[in-house]
Amino acid sequence: MKLSTLAMAIGAVVLATGLAQAQDKTFNIWWFEDAASAQGVTWTKALEELKANHPDVTVNFEQKTFAQLQASGSMILNSDQAPDVLEYNKGNATAGLVASQGLLTPLDDAYTSLGWDKILDEGSLTLSRYDELGVYGSGSIWGISTYGEYVSAFYNIDMFEEAGLAVPTSLDELTAVFEAFKAQGITPLALGGADTSGQHVLASLAYTKADDTWISNYQGLKAPLDTAPYLFAAQTMVDWVAKGYVDKDATGIKDPDAALQFTSGKAPVYISGTWNLGNFNSTIKDFKWGQFLVPTPKYSVGSTGNLWVIPTASKNPELAKEWISLLLSPKYQTEQANNGGVSIAADPATVTNPVGQNAAAVFKEIADKQGLGFYPDWPVPGFYDVLIQKVAGLLQATLTPEQFADELKQAYDDAQANQ
Amino acid sequence: MATPSTVSTEDKRSFYLFLLPGAIGFIAIVLVPQLANFGLSFTAWKGVGTPRFVGLQNYERLLSDGQFWGSMSHTLLFVISMTIIPVLIGLVLAALLFDYIRAEFGETASSLFRAALYLPQILPITAAGVLWGWILSPTGVVNIVLRAIGLGDLAQNWLGDATYALPAVSLVIVWIQIGYCLVVFMAGLSRIDPALYEAAELDGAGWWQRLRTITIPLLAPEIFVVVLTTLIAALKVFAPIFVLTAGGPDNATLVPSYLTYYHFFTTQRVGYAASIAVVQTILTIGLAIIFLRFQAQQAGKE
Repeated sequence: MKLSTLAMAIGAVVLATGLAQAQDKTFNIWWFEDAASAQGVTWTKALEELKANHPDVTVNFEQKTFAQLQASGSMILNSDQAPDVLEYNKGNATAGLVASQGLLTPLDDAYTSLGWDKILDEGSLTLSRYDELGVYGSGSIWGISTYGEYVSAFYNIDMFEEAGLAVPTSLDELTAVFEAFKAQGITPLALGGADTSGQHVLASLAYTKADDTWISNYQGLKAPLDTAPYLFAAQTMVDWVAKGYVDKDATGIKDPDAALQFTSGKAPVYISGTWNLGNFNSTIKDFKWGQFLVPTPKYSVGSTGNLWVIPTASKNPELAKEWISLLLSPKYQTEQANNGGVSIAADPATVTNPVGQNAAAVFKEIADKQGLGFYPDWPVPGFYDVLIQKVAGLLQATLTPEQFADELKQAYDDAQANQ
Repeated sequence: MATPSTVSTEDKRSFYLFLLPGAIGFIAIVLVPQLANFGLSFTAWKGVGTPRFVGLQNYERLLSDGQFWGSMSHTLLFVISMTIIPVLIGLVLAALLFDYIRAEFGETASSLFRAALYLPQILPITAAGVLWGWILSPTGVVNIVLRAIGLGDLAQNWLGDATYALPAVSLVIVWIQIGYCLVVFMAGLSRIDPALYEAAELDGAGWWQRLRTITIPLLAPEIFVVVLTTLIAALKVFAPIFVLTAGGPDNATLVPSYLTYYHFFTTQRVGYAASIAVVQTILTIGLAIIFLRFQAQQAGKE
């Protein structure tokens, strides 16, 4: 009785393993861009074309989430469950870590042999290259990004026109715009103080005081944190709350709710990333809206997008490269821009969607002046959560700007000293 | 005499075979990961690659980590909101439903209340958490109602203000926990001889007296079980925090389980996360042992 059960169990396991190994004509692909986003829509179409080109291959697509791969991607890539190609989070703590552990296929040869070098330039490869310690900026090419992203201020053009306000070109003008709305009884800036947009506003403000050295030191973990830009940003945010430009209850609001304040026409300004474009493009019907960069001397919060990487365990690396080529092709770059996405290699003449056209132009403008300052959470693993927690402390006044800067410095210097 | 005893020994041996699946499961799912975790707590490891042995370094760091001590002190509050308050409320509610509602309004009314109070236990905690997130948001139902009835001054940024976040999360947890206590207590009550209540009532005992002299002493076994299980749950609370506040604002609602998760998955200090988990496990097992000893003592007295 006991033995036969055991035998059956073993049999079942063997059978299951055998079945799993029998499927070799499959192509497993993962990405985490939302299905409704510009990338999601474009990639779904491209995948149809890939399927049509290879009728003999069974394509298995799995929708993941950013947070999922951020948290457990390295472990998945280190297992036999890794897909053939996937969109993976850029950065030292993610792509850099797995590249340094030898879990990714280098793409240097493909970069030249498949002609990707004619579409991308060295500037858009900064986050594709990781050295043997997993630090970005040099080393082999481990992943390819097919889109860009940046943080900007989304603004309600109708409300601006009604109030007779122009797009601000300096921080003082931005403050004046906020003051003008406040005088009308409108809280101008929607902010998810319990979420990511808090640190995006913070970084945008910090970058108004950031020069090349600061950015390079900061993102490269090259020196203990020079807190001056953060101190300025923190003080400005505290002022904004005090003056009522930001709701004092912002710490109880998450990004989707803050975005809703903008899309519903309640708040005229929302500072966040281009990943909102697809959503705004399809949901905002009642008013005209646009984007402007938070005025900084050079650096804006932004980077090339997340990376397409091919795990070492990929069973179809050639097909995976073909997939990346497809996404870089003018056809899908234009498609992406027409869906409101930030394309890095679209032909402007063929883009018909003004949102995508503008986004591609703004991204090009930042990239051309080499002003991609990246994200503030980048240098230190776990800094993302530290920033959310500390910005909330700042907004609800349990931390003074000085304490705030000190606490960031502690976490940063700790990581800097122990890298 | 010799023959039957040999048979019975063989029987006993073959019984062990039936324990095998359970034992394998225990070893594979509980014991091995615990030991692996214990081993990892002495290393620096990023989740992939080779762990590097660092001795007691993680534990040293733990001693001076304000976040860790903060999370520990929050745990004490969660013992109140997950164990003490739900047990007290559960007891009173169970007694009310059992000998008042059921007596006055019938079995159906009592079952209805019991089901309604148990509902939060059935709801997936993520769904419940999202709902409470909306209810407690600055523009949520609670504040709308408060403003509508002219108590706008009481409206707060419930989850976003360090002063209120911990009580607000505790409230949600009390709401979740009451159903569990209530259902166990009501099951226990059905074991008690109704004649006791009738006799007490005839002797002129009021409801409160009956609760204190009959219900609580006779429910002692159930109370012990509920306190033990909720105490363990309180020490490792994670899901409500994860969904409602993610430990925020400014770590005001941070708990050890969340801190472990944070270090394991985001800072990639897997070894450090393991050391937090080890301390947490030792504390939980230690408390459970003390508590079981205490229970055995109490049972011995009776």
